[in-house]
Amino acid sequence: MVPTEDELPPIDPAESLRLIERERAETELNITPDPRGFTWPWGFAWVLGFGVYFLRYGPGDRVFVDLPAWLPLTLLLGLFLAAGAFTGWFGARISRAIKGPSNRQGAMYGIAWSVAYAGMSAVLSTTNNLLPDANATMLWAGVMVALTGAMHMAGGAIWNDRNLFFLVVWTSVVNIAGVFAGFGWHSLILAVLGGGGMLFVGTLQWLRLRRRAGRGLR
Amino acid sequence: MSQTEVPDLDPVIHAQARLRVVSALSTLRESDSITFPRLQEILKMTAGNLSVHLRKLEDAGYVEVTKTHRGRTPATLVRLTRRGRLAFEDYTAALRALLSPPSEEP
Repeated sequence: MVPTEDELPPIDPAESLRLIERERAETELNITPDPRGFTWPWGFAWVLGFGVYFLRYGPGDRVFVDLPAWLPLTLLLGLFLAAGAFTGWFGARISRAIKGPSNRQGAMYGIAWSVAYAGMSAVLSTTNNLLPDANATMLWAGVMVALTGAMHMAGGAIWNDRNLFFLVVWTSVVNIAGVFAGFGWHSLILAVLGGGGMLFVGTLQWLRLRRRAGRGLR
Repeated sequence: MSQTEVPDLDPVIHAQARLRVVSALSTLRESDSITFPRLQEILKMTAGNLSVHLRKLEDAGYVEVTKTHRGRTPATLVRLTRRGRLAFEDYTAALRALLSPPSEEP
């Protein structure tokens, strides 16, 4: 057989090692999802959802914008569902190229989200008539953030993703601080520190991935 | 392989194209496979060329190519076998040994 260029060995060992590094970096970039796909939808949902919440239910019963009482929580739930659906779709789109244990983990994780949310909604909706509106909405918002945080931290543990894990430890701490700060402040703190934090970290991870890829491909 | 010998380089992997294929596959987690089109996209090889090299790697027992169906569309999945992963690790270790030959005798 006539050796083609493909069949030729790399020129020297150093060149071979560079070739290996380049190829691994290129592949990793190709199969690693854009980190913005997981953080930005939640970041926007928090900034917008809790922002509107704050405008309607300010500290000390202040109403900055006179929106219907049902609107903030409905909007927040809607935004959370949309963010969850988007990240689920985004994750599935990536895993279509990869098959194996990683996929099964992804599917089980997705199911865990729906089951946990259904459980939370079922339990909390029984308290709706027992609590004043203000307390009920903060209960919903606080528990939702805690549950989302628990799921995301578990995700960080499953995929050994330290960035995700510590980002969510941060938003969970912010949630606890917000609950203690009290009604009204809770939503402002979550919008600015929680939502803003997610947008910021997502951008940071994205820049880092791009930098790493640039190094590998050069 | 003793410390003083120059290590032999695996001839199956020691061809640029196949080294690239194995390097790319080594990035996946063990027992995960990647679809053929996606691998082709990463390596920027023609389908024919990639098939030829995959067959050679398959003959050596380094990769496993599975033909399956996703709904009605056929899908080809490629993964590095345990043997292939070991061969790749040995190969990179041999390259490193070539680059820094042991200077002192133990």
